[in-house]
Order: sequence, then structure tokens, then C-alpha cells
Amino acid sequence: MIHLNRAFAILIGLSICTTLLADLVPRAGIIFVATVLVLSMVKARVILSQYLGLAQAPTFRRGFNAIVTIFVLAAFGLYLLPLAL
Amino acid sequence: MPSPDLPPDIPSVLDELPGDLMIWILIVSELLVFGAGLLAFLGMRAADPVAFAQDQEMLNRVAGAVNTVVLVTSGYCAARAVQSVQRTRAWLSAAMVLGAVFLVVKGMEYADKARHGIGIETSDFFTFYYLLTGFHAMHVVAGLVIFALLMRWPSPRNLEAGAAFWHMVDLVWVLLFPIIYLVR
Repeated sequence: MIHLNRAFAILIGLSICTTLLADLVPRAGIIFVATVLVLSMVKARVILSQYLGLAQAPTFRRGFNAIVTIFVLAAFGLYLLPLAL
Repeated sequence: MPSPDLPPDIPSVLDELPGDLMIWILIVSELLVFGAGLLAFLGMRAADPVAFAQDQEMLNRVAGAVNTVVLVTSGYCAARAVQSVQRTRAWLSAAMVLGAVFLVVKGMEYADKARHGIGIETSDFFTFYYLLTGFHAMHVVAGLVIFALLMRWPSPRNLEAGAAFWHMVDLVWVLLFPIIYLVR
């Protein structure tokens, strides 16, 4: 229960951070996008670990975390693509 | 007495997984589908980032942010429903109400777009926007139907599987929201 409450507090806190960031930064850029993607990656990890219970399955938690990390890196790479062309 | 033809139970890494293996297969399948859709969206954006940024300006970021908080809170209620012995239905009801709120906010977003003459064929951006958020909203509807069934048959096994489905919907949203609404 304590883990669940803490996970909920973290998720709400990160969501508020994302919203404030989007509001305070009128012109987005590489740092803004990287920050927003990292925040969403952390949220995804908390959901996997605490809401979906993978904290009790460390092998699978590592696997899912790796997939989420690869996805976020791929997303950031595709975001950067037009800047590189 | 165990049958001599059957091999003895061998401990497997799959035993670590909480809940049914089938729900995890479903979760992985859904994550792959949404992941591919979101990467395709970013791939299309790479071809014309200026047009995508202009269309994205028409989205309601506040509505998206509100829906993130709503869905995360609903996920918390679903998790509490699994853990709670005596207040399962109360937590499930709260999760359902918040799920319905998510759909109302999403419906208001769609209605606003329709008022401005924006539809699925308006641009590549809005094609992806409607397909990805619409497909996600359909999963929210499916989750609400599952919760309604759980209100009638709230066995621990059913609750765990239903809540896992809902958390998957939650997980997809926290990845979808920044990519569709914020990456610019």
C-alpha cells in the first residue's frame, strides 16, 4: 500500500512537472523534448513496477524497462532526424 | 497421485510474473501496436515537421494534461481495488467514474476539432491523432466494460487481470500524450 501511494504521488508529481514545463516553455526544442520524454519514461517505469507489479518480477522489470528505454530513444532519434537532414 | 507420464513441475522465470501469462501477452501486443503507431507518427513528422507543428498547435494541451492526471488516478483506484478486500467495489466505481471522465474530456476535444472542421482526413498529423487517440479511447471503453463485469464477478484473479489491462491503457497514455501533444 505504501509503495502504491508513493507511486501515485510520483506519477502525479511528474505529470504536473510535464504540464508546467509545456506551459512555461513556449518554444520547444531539443532539451524540452528530451526532458518531456525522460519524464514519460520514468512514469512508464513507475506504472510497470508498482501498478503492474513488476517490482516483484525483477527479470521482467528489467526487460520491460529496456523496451521502454529503447522506445524513448527511438522516438527522440526520430525527433532529431529533421534537424540532421 | 501425479501421472507418471507428466514431467515434474520445473520452476520457470515465468512464475515471477504477477497474474495470468495471457494478460501479459496482451499487454506486450498492445504496447507493440501503439509503439509502432507512435514511431510511425514521428517518422511522418520527420518528413514535414513544420506542418506537424502547426497542426499540433490546434490541440488542447491542458485537456491532454488533465486526462493524464485522471487516468493515473484511475489506475491508482484500480490497483487499490485489487488490494482492498472490503472496498473493492468502491475503488472499482471510482476507477470507472474517472475512466468516464477521461472519455468526456476526449469527446470534448473531438467536438472542438469537429467545430473547426478538423477531421481524420484534414492532414497526416490529424490522421495519426485520430487513429492513435481514438484507438486508445476504444481501449478505455473496453476497460470500462471489463470493470462493469468485475463489479459482478470480483474474484481476485479477475480483478488482477482487469486492473492489469487498465494499467496497460494508462501506460500507453503516458507515452502517447507527450509524443502527440508536446514533441515539437
